[in-house]
Amino acid sequence: MANTTKLNVVYGDVTLGLSGPGFRYIFAYDRGGLESLVQDGKEWLYRVPTPAFWRATTDNDRGNGFSVAAAPWLGADMFRTCTAINVVVDGQAIPLPIAPENNRYTAKETATTVTVTFTYTTPTVPATTVDVAYTVTATGQLTIAVHYAGRAGLPELPALGLRFLCPTPAMGFDYQGLSGETYPDRLAGGQPGTHHVEGLPVTPYLVPQECGMHMRTQWVKVTRATTQNNSDPDHQPFQLTLRQAAHPFAFSCLPYTPEELENATHMEELPLARRTVLTVYGAVRGVGGIDSWGSDVEPAYHIAGDIDHDFSFVIAGPVAR
Amino acid sequence: MKAEISWLDDPQTFRVNQMPAHSDHRGYATVAEADTQKSRFVQSLDGQWAFAFARDPQHRPLGFYQPDSDRSDFESLTVPGHIELAGYGQIQYINTAYPWEGKHYRRPAYSQGADQPEPGMFSQDPENTVGAYVRHFTLAAGLRHKRVSIEFDGVEQAMYLWLNGHFVGYAEDSFSRSEFDLTPYLQAGENLLAVEVFKHSTAAFLEDQDMFRFSGIFRSVRLVAKPRLHVEDLTIQATLTPDLETGEFSAHLALSAAEKLAGSVTATLFTAAGEQLWTTTQAVAEELAVKATLPHVHRWDHHDPYLYQLRLSVFDDAGQLVEVVPYAVGFRRLELKDKVIYLNGQRLILNGVNRHEWDAQRGRAVTVADMARDQRIFKAAHINAVRTCHYPDQDLWYHLCDRNGIYMMAETNLETHGTWQKMGVVEPSYNVPGSLPQWTLAILDRARSNYEMFKNHPAVFFWSLGNESYAGDALVAMDQFYHTVDPTRLTHYEGVYRNRAYADRISDVESRMYDPPRDIEAYLQNHPAKPFLNCEYMHDMGNSIGGMGSYMALLEKYPMYQGGFIWDYIDQALWVKDEVTGQPALRYGGDFDDRHSDYEFSGDGLLFADRTPKPALQEVRHYYGQYD
Repeated sequence: MANTTKLNVVYGDVTLGLSGPGFRYIFAYDRGGLESLVQDGKEWLYRVPTPAFWRATTDNDRGNGFSVAAAPWLGADMFRTCTAINVVVDGQAIPLPIAPENNRYTAKETATTVTVTFTYTTPTVPATTVDVAYTVTATGQLTIAVHYAGRAGLPELPALGLRFLCPTPAMGFDYQGLSGETYPDRLAGGQPGTHHVEGLPVTPYLVPQECGMHMRTQWVKVTRATTQNNSDPDHQPFQLTLRQAAHPFAFSCLPYTPEELENATHMEELPLARRTVLTVYGAVRGVGGIDSWGSDVEPAYHIAGDIDHDFSFVIAGPVAR
Repeated sequence: MKAEISWLDDPQTFRVNQMPAHSDHRGYATVAEADTQKSRFVQSLDGQWAFAFARDPQHRPLGFYQPDSDRSDFESLTVPGHIELAGYGQIQYINTAYPWEGKHYRRPAYSQGADQPEPGMFSQDPENTVGAYVRHFTLAAGLRHKRVSIEFDGVEQAMYLWLNGHFVGYAEDSFSRSEFDLTPYLQAGENLLAVEVFKHSTAAFLEDQDMFRFSGIFRSVRLVAKPRLHVEDLTIQATLTPDLETGEFSAHLALSAAEKLAGSVTATLFTAAGEQLWTTTQAVAEELAVKATLPHVHRWDHHDPYLYQLRLSVFDDAGQLVEVVPYAVGFRRLELKDKVIYLNGQRLILNGVNRHEWDAQRGRAVTVADMARDQRIFKAAHINAVRTCHYPDQDLWYHLCDRNGIYMMAETNLETHGTWQKMGVVEPSYNVPGSLPQWTLAILDRARSNYEMFKNHPAVFFWSLGNESYAGDALVAMDQFYHTVDPTRLTHYEGVYRNRAYADRISDVESRMYDPPRDIEAYLQNHPAKPFLNCEYMHDMGNSIGGMGSYMALLEKYPMYQGGFIWDYIDQALWVKDEVTGQPALRYGGDFDDRHSDYEFSGDGLLFADRTPKPALQEVRHYYGQYD
């Protein structure tokens, strides 16, 4: 009978493995992040999640010069360095358990909770850091807390989130929150409720741009049916659920990164959809709307670069069998 | 009279032998026919026309309109449609600069002095494309042995017309109906109609709208016969007295006769249910007027666009019914009182959009289905007003707005943006029309065409002098024209904001575009002289419509703030086959090797170009719904 009160902990040489009934997570020291998130035998990660800073330039951004002012964040969105990793087991910080430190562990290690925190340093001038802390409990629930350290001199942020790249495109997603595509300054018309979105629609703006945001979300459930696992012939749909922690979150679930969207001048230039790009946002800049040639987004809907920002959310563990 | 190509260069020549503009009523032979709206007096000429394209006036087929001309090399083109979308001539999108930007240096005739008429600018323009259209027709039975005219609902941008080799007339103003009398040149059996369409003329300076630049016969063409007695013009006024209960109705008629102007006209008003409410009969005369005061009329407004039916029945002196003219009548009271616009005693709130005519397959040659769908989307999104940016639309649109209670800002076909605003800076050194007398008559003619055609629509609340054409005496003359002919409606012009010297003379309202809410508030807090409206606001380019709540909040605080018109309703983009994948793709400015271009600025709609709503429409529905 599986242990439902304790996590199995594998103190590897390159990774920290956590598992329990229906889940196995691998935190990779060399990759600087959560490398593997398997629930019910299905892998949800293609690359480690990274801080999201960029949004594909909207027409209003282009018109008012925001993309130019915020350009350092495009670099930070694409490139960052993991500069610190901290592991806490059952509330106790431990030395990073790599060889030879990990020689003192066994094949039967367990814990009630484990928190792994990755610190990312941006290539901006000045640089700043983003801490991403994953806290895992025995049910396989992950609570993810993101902390952005404000630095004087940094431009306003286009967005602040955590981006998950899934190996294959999703069939669709369900969420509880506001209907349609919403932004902080454009959500009054969003109807609260539970909504289903078929596939991974990219809003077909003439020039592909930031799209698909869903504000004030309580939970989102992403459904896929395909994997890249050659030994997995099963094509039954499977799901991953994200839930709010203390506060609702914003998310988008698209087949493209902001950089892919940024590079296209037309919808038909976008690559074939191969991934699911699920980004959870703690802060979203408004889209604005007064004009498209200079007027800024209203001040309440900016994201200051020089103050701290924190957000957190939960990835639900697998359904108990 | 001989057609002169030099008319293309002369801003003072814009209509030759055209019939005077008149109301958009239609005549029928019987009441039953009127009920079906299929008049035996009308013969459509839509369909395939023979066509030859020339890249410039020098290469055009001279004399192609002669019956014995060799037209064996003519191809075929569908009317209505744009020449460019049929593959002749380059598609171009450009916003404010003129389409010849970077290719030809031009100053409008007389803008640099009364001695500078700029001859040859368009008649010898090496890039002024020409379409030669030919169509044979034989009069249908209902039109034979009658006076027959031809109506062109939209030809961009200058056209010459011949029938059976005879020159008939010339017209500019791409978006107004041009009508010519064909009677003198008609023959029994087959007739040869020929139209020569030039992409550019001096009208180009007046038609610098932010749109794809097309040419051709892009709206319907029809023959219309006049029975022995004919209602040439009809001017309806249907208002309410201050008690908002009593209707005051009048109809002024102008009649013509093929031979003898004698007989009678019966005017009858019916309720929407078909009950006769009032009737009167008068002797036929060149001009006549009927009037009625009606107690307890059913008011017309957005929520209850109640329409009475007027029927004019024209009888000859033998008492035989000759013509039936139906027209929908809506009673409403529009007034500007204490600096606030009221409709039927209620403050008017405009939940509006600007609407270009657009269809991603057909360009501005929009269909009945397009219009019907737009009306449904308006209703679902609580849009109660439309600005016909920036030209008169197809006349069906005005009828649909009457039926659905959509308040209209009816714009004159005028935009001269490129002559006075360059790269965002106001620089009117070669502005037309300004105060130039050589350009004034042309724009007054455009105003008259707009007024005469649409004066009977209850949906029309504002006559707009056009868009972004700066200010000057010519605009003052236009404002005076509208006020003189129509005391029942308001004038609108945004140029009032650009040159305050004309503030009192070119608009009944303070109209601005894209002012931030705080600047609007500053106006409203500082002894405003006129009610305020946004003729354009919430620029919905790409992913936009953020911050709409700040505009809507002004409605609560300032009675003189009356809302506005979102820019705009639908993206302008065209379906093409992607050259790489072979799949359909929507293309915008610059995608046709067209330079200079304003690229994706063509896409600012609440709808994508294929008429599916953008996500932002739910925001508009929410806010407009709160004031619906």
